[in-house]
Amino acid sequence: MKCAGDIDTREVEELYINIDPIQAGGRLTPEAHKAVIAFADGYSVCDNCLKPFRLDYINKPPIAQFHRDVAEWLNMDQVRVVPGARRGFQAVASTMVEKGDPVILTALSHYTEFVSLEQSGGIIHEIPKDAENRITAENAAAKLDEVTKKFGRAPALLFVEHVDYQYGNIHEVKEIAKAAHQYDVPVLMNGAYSVGIMPVDGKVFGVDFVVGSGHKSMASPAPSGVLAANGEYAERVFRTTQVKGDVTGRTFGIKEVEMMGCTLMGAPVVGMMASFPAVKARVGHWDHEVANSNKVVDALLSIEGTTVESEYPRRHTLTRINTLGSFDKVAATHKKKGFFLSGSLKKKGVIGVIPGSTRVWKFNTYGLGDMQIDHLARTFVEVAEENGLSVS
Amino acid sequence: MSQRAVDAVFQGLYLFTDLRAVLRETAPGHRLDEEQRVAVAQALEKVRKQADILEKELLQ
Repeated sequence: MKCAGDIDTREVEELYINIDPIQAGGRLTPEAHKAVIAFADGYSVCDNCLKPFRLDYINKPPIAQFHRDVAEWLNMDQVRVVPGARRGFQAVASTMVEKGDPVILTALSHYTEFVSLEQSGGIIHEIPKDAENRITAENAAAKLDEVTKKFGRAPALLFVEHVDYQYGNIHEVKEIAKAAHQYDVPVLMNGAYSVGIMPVDGKVFGVDFVVGSGHKSMASPAPSGVLAANGEYAERVFRTTQVKGDVTGRTFGIKEVEMMGCTLMGAPVVGMMASFPAVKARVGHWDHEVANSNKVVDALLSIEGTTVESEYPRRHTLTRINTLGSFDKVAATHKKKGFFLSGSLKKKGVIGVIPGSTRVWKFNTYGLGDMQIDHLARTFVEVAEENGLSVS
Repeated sequence: MSQRAVDAVFQGLYLFTDLRAVLRETAPGHRLDEEQRVAVAQALEKVRKQADILEKELLQ
């Protein structure tokens, strides 16, 4: 069925259980779908944009209140909506980092964190992960010390992931922030896999910036995200324009330099707003989500030869699983080779595993109902048994 | 201008969105429990009402 021209209607979420690792937390709520229907036109949120003509001042729809609500929810001083987490990284890097400044990332940082710092000319150093694929305060302190000695000055900025995209592991953000602050290094917490699905309190973590992804974890259309900041850092990253045209003498009011004036308009921002009450509520059910995640991981681990590369028991819904000793052995002799796994899963109503993957792959159980979790766990076991693998 | 017709279009789309949500919640089997069956029946009834309003406002 086409929705327009040669564009197929996307029916993936209606027909299947989708365990794609990056899509789970971004599925829209019905409220967001309705808001998108009403506000799909380009400048739709600008009907009532009055002086001082800035997105976060608009009261109808209540975008201004949404900004205040998100800041309170994250326990941060100020928030702006941004077109994806990456634009949050970019705004902070552009503000805090000068060319040649040392900066710190982690061995599990997302490429957009790297690229944002590359744009600013930062010299990147990674905190290594430990044997359990975690970023520890001990390794962070050692890296801070090493880089400070090497450059004769402290790093300009440190990025750390609350939850990383590779393993879905939870890292020692609070302790790492404490270590960084001993060197007066500001800390940005990448909450792309936490803000909107699990509890996040910026002041408890003691970080200076929190970045979240709307389309990854806040049930919002893409591109969307949030950038939150505290105290003096909020003043710096949300500074207003001072520029003046030399011929016209024009100035540009209170437009914010790093935000390029207004950020999210139309469907992305109202979608985010419409989902927000449900997002706030669902964070309170995080323990149940984690229990569901463990249920599925345990089903996979019951298949002989399967191991989990993420921390275990799971504390998150995104998991990296190793099936070299199970499904990959089947693939070696199967007529469909590695495609047998995704094909078998799809026949049973499950999609989201990269076609051809039978070695190390990721999946995410976030947001599935209990019946769907049972179906998913049973499906992995059935596919194993149908292909001659032992299940304990 | 027919405010009623415009409202009926949006109300119909929102009701279909609720039905879409049920399809998502029950994928892949789409086996509905009693509560979901009641909700779907109510939504369909309301959708028909919106269609009636549109017919009256735009075609009669």
